[in-house]
Amino acid sequence: MAHIKVVRRSMRPEEWTDLRFGWLKRHIYNEKWEIENLEIRDARQVREMEFEYYSDEYRPLKKGDMYFTPDGTAFIKAEVKIPDCLKDKELWFSLKTAAEICVKVNGKYIGGVDPNRERMLLSPYINVNETLYFDMMGYNRSKPDDERNPESLSVRGCRQIFEGAYICTVNEDVQSLVYDFELLLDIAKSELFNEDYRAFLNRELNNAMNCIDFDSEELTGVDDAKKYIEDVIYSNDTYKGTGDVALVAHSHLDVAYYWRRIHAVQKNLRTVLIQLRLMDRYPHFKYAHTQPYTYETLEKYYPDVFQELKEKVKNGQFEPVGAMYVEPDCNVPNAESLIRQCLYGQKTYERMFGKRVNNAWLPDVFGNSWILPQILKKSGVDYFVSNKMSTWNDTNRFPHNNFIWRGIDGSDVYACVPPTHFITWNMPSQIQENWEAYIDKDKGGQTLNMFGYGDGGSGCTEEMIELMNRFDKLSIMPKCTHTSGAEFLEKNLKDNKALEVWDGELYLEMHRGTFTTKSDIKKANRKLEEKFRTAEMLSVMRNEDNSKEITELYKKFLINQFHDILPGSHIHPVYEDAMKDYAEIEAGLDGIIGKGSKYFNTLNFKRNAIEFIENKNGTATKYGKKGNWLITGMDALSSGSLRKTSYDKEWISVDGLRVETPYYEIIFNPDGSIKSLYDKNLLREWAKGDFNKLKFYVDCPGNYDAWDILPNYREKEVELSVESPVVLVEKDGESATFRALLNTEKSQWEMRIRVFRRSRAIEVENNVNWNEKHKLAKVEFQCNILTRKALCDTSAGFIERETHRNTTWQQARFEVCHHKWCDMSETGGGVAIINDGKYGVGFLENTMSLSLLRATERPDVTSDIGKHSFSYMIMPHEKDAVTAEINKLALQYNTPLIKADCSWNMPTFEPLYLQAVKMSEDGKMTVIRLSEQNGTRGKIKLNQKVKILNMLEDILSETDVIEFKPFEIITIGI
Amino acid sequence: MEKYVNNVLAPKLQGDGGWVEFISFENGELTLRFRGECSKCLILHRCTDWIEQEIKRDLKKTVKVTAIRKKPYFQDI
Repeated sequence: MAHIKVVRRSMRPEEWTDLRFGWLKRHIYNEKWEIENLEIRDARQVREMEFEYYSDEYRPLKKGDMYFTPDGTAFIKAEVKIPDCLKDKELWFSLKTAAEICVKVNGKYIGGVDPNRERMLLSPYINVNETLYFDMMGYNRSKPDDERNPESLSVRGCRQIFEGAYICTVNEDVQSLVYDFELLLDIAKSELFNEDYRAFLNRELNNAMNCIDFDSEELTGVDDAKKYIEDVIYSNDTYKGTGDVALVAHSHLDVAYYWRRIHAVQKNLRTVLIQLRLMDRYPHFKYAHTQPYTYETLEKYYPDVFQELKEKVKNGQFEPVGAMYVEPDCNVPNAESLIRQCLYGQKTYERMFGKRVNNAWLPDVFGNSWILPQILKKSGVDYFVSNKMSTWNDTNRFPHNNFIWRGIDGSDVYACVPPTHFITWNMPSQIQENWEAYIDKDKGGQTLNMFGYGDGGSGCTEEMIELMNRFDKLSIMPKCTHTSGAEFLEKNLKDNKALEVWDGELYLEMHRGTFTTKSDIKKANRKLEEKFRTAEMLSVMRNEDNSKEITELYKKFLINQFHDILPGSHIHPVYEDAMKDYAEIEAGLDGIIGKGSKYFNTLNFKRNAIEFIENKNGTATKYGKKGNWLITGMDALSSGSLRKTSYDKEWISVDGLRVETPYYEIIFNPDGSIKSLYDKNLLREWAKGDFNKLKFYVDCPGNYDAWDILPNYREKEVELSVESPVVLVEKDGESATFRALLNTEKSQWEMRIRVFRRSRAIEVENNVNWNEKHKLAKVEFQCNILTRKALCDTSAGFIERETHRNTTWQQARFEVCHHKWCDMSETGGGVAIINDGKYGVGFLENTMSLSLLRATERPDVTSDIGKHSFSYMIMPHEKDAVTAEINKLALQYNTPLIKADCSWNMPTFEPLYLQAVKMSEDGKMTVIRLSEQNGTRGKIKLNQKVKILNMLEDILSETDVIEFKPFEIITIGI
Repeated sequence: MEKYVNNVLAPKLQGDGGWVEFISFENGELTLRFRGECSKCLILHRCTDWIEQEIKRDLKKTVKVTAIRKKPYFQDI
């Protein structure tokens, strides 16, 4: 007998309810009076608040017309006289649009409309007897705030059809009933709620709908339906929900992403404006807003709105959160950058509102470095909030939501990794999902649920608040409390002895490509971090007050560390903006650094590494420039002249692919990889397989193209051809350079491998014409080393990472972030790889693989295409990485000698690393930041008393003995 | 025409996460390759109409735009 599947073709009762719900929504507006005299002028924003216009004049805008252009801003205006019949009613402005529109009436910002809301309240802000001059500024975007919102998604696109603008009145009874149905239908459709309750809801919602006569000319029965819901559904307490959820209103705003930073100014304005208006209408509504930088743009360009914001901060409705200047990437920036994020962020809040905040609010960042807890704690931050690890990890469930995060130095901060996404629209099913996913139900108190549209701002809607006002009526819902971010953190985490401790980095098991994508940006970031250090140090030494200029440059730099700029997950114009900013910052810093007649060592220890000193008469070449390789031996923080060596004896022998130096017997492969690296001093072989082997892998991670590297990249390797086998091309008394030229059909890769007479280092300079698609270039080192761990520089100490794949936790960490160096060692010796701007690295058993370049196409179809030059240094060494002083070598590699005439008149503070020297923010002290980077403890006796400061430069105590512990960052004032 | 596409139109589309490339211009037919967000745009025809209008205004030429979509590999199904 054939099986016949029974398919229900007749309409289900729930569908009948849905259908009528659609009809009900058509009656939300009582009256709609069309504004027919609208005029529009198309433009494109080219800089902050600067526009290029398509025409000199406005043109009429009628219903059905096309409006907006690619990357377009439109200015729309109208002169409106409210008809007498509407004057005594509560009036709204309505405009259904895909654009983000800020609306000004008679010179005052009244509100905004966007794909998440089509109307805004007018009445309290206008005089109906006056002529109303509407001025609207709209930015159209084809990328909706949240692609999970189908209504938003359906209207994406650059060219939109204008659907008319209206003055209207709202039928509050219908609107209220619509909110009831919105709320209850969400529960009825969600499998997260009790099945019997959902059956009850479906039955009773149908009955409620039956109260309404949709056939009558004027909708009747709305009051009856409302009463039915109150009496039958809201009154029912048979079905009990569990849970305790804190609802915090928030809107995530990417400073740049699918839009440029210049557009974030208006995105922020619109978001703030809309939240302020909701606060006017709902006095109990509170909203948390991050990023002091965005407050600065509001203050600068929209001072009236900023003044309103300040009032709402005063009354407690508008809550500044997040101590950091922007929400930065928290993997790639170094310790000093992260400190400055806090310093300038907190100073900005302090200036604006007379207070600092005690939380870091970083919902969207792609994992967090282990150095962060100490930096936060010493910047007045007790609480850390970040969502990604719970919702985006691809392998392991992060085991905590409310917990204590212990940093590399042992500092603790209270941490909240909320169980669900930071963008929700306050639907019961989303709240229930949060509670069910919440791991720390027994220990952590409430769970945090953020609500509000985000990514491009926008924030909360009237609907979200109206739904929230009804939650108490539903016994099936978890207990919900609308609260501020700070209140939630203080109530549930502070002094909570039951919280578990997570001691380690907060690694995100996703977005592993962001350590590598947009190589140029990362290299510029590394270089400028060093230049800021130099510029500030020289300013102090020369007693020059460059604080204002440096702060401005620093802020511009910190903006570009935003978590969709520095990680590389942005559209092409954002890349162009960043590179332009970096060029301006570098020019500014170079101007401060100036020039001198002597060389100066900005490092606070003696230089002992081989380094390249540019000299037009030099006999060596690096990055196409002439110079000499020297071991300068220059003392800490001292200056002097350099003289090139004139060693003219033979120190290297070359026999085809066999090379012998004072340190090594090397056998090259034609492609520049090393078949054998025999150490003549340590009497051991370092290579065991592919060593310094350039490999191209097929890199197709899918939709999160720029963000992700998937573990399957290793499955398919692309063969490189050797166009020109490795051969000696340059030699002088200190160095010898071998060159290999490799290529694919599309790319050329020059590898210049350099060995030295007086150094164990082997430098590899890479000059690349990169024109690949979906490829990941890595250089791999299979070492003759038996170890289960690798060390990685974090910029403020090192982190140990396992090299095996025993558990899913190690399996997930196949690609990790490091800073200037990584190392694999046995007790007797090991190999370190020191880089000048790379961050992604993988470890597997005895192999280190440094990620060099990617070629992704979303969001930027030309990402990384073009020319690149970068170097790394292979450093085989005796004993372990700390004893071999790898960190000092890496610091020297990334901190070139400068030309400056100045002298240092303070202690050198060895053995700590002199991380920063700056004028204090109040101009009264020299601030010195010291970092312990080797995992040791000790004391430094000074010959004068200094002030111990926190990172916000508050004076904590005085001492003449600096005691330090492993990985501690110490700030002192002199 | 190629310069106009590259220098005037392309930056605008890039600002929306889109991408346009000149392929050819023959007998009044301008063939353009659309990548990025443009490649999956449901209303691309509105944009090509706009491009025709822009060219008419700026270059005083009447053209017919033919759009070729090149979707990213993960959407090329």
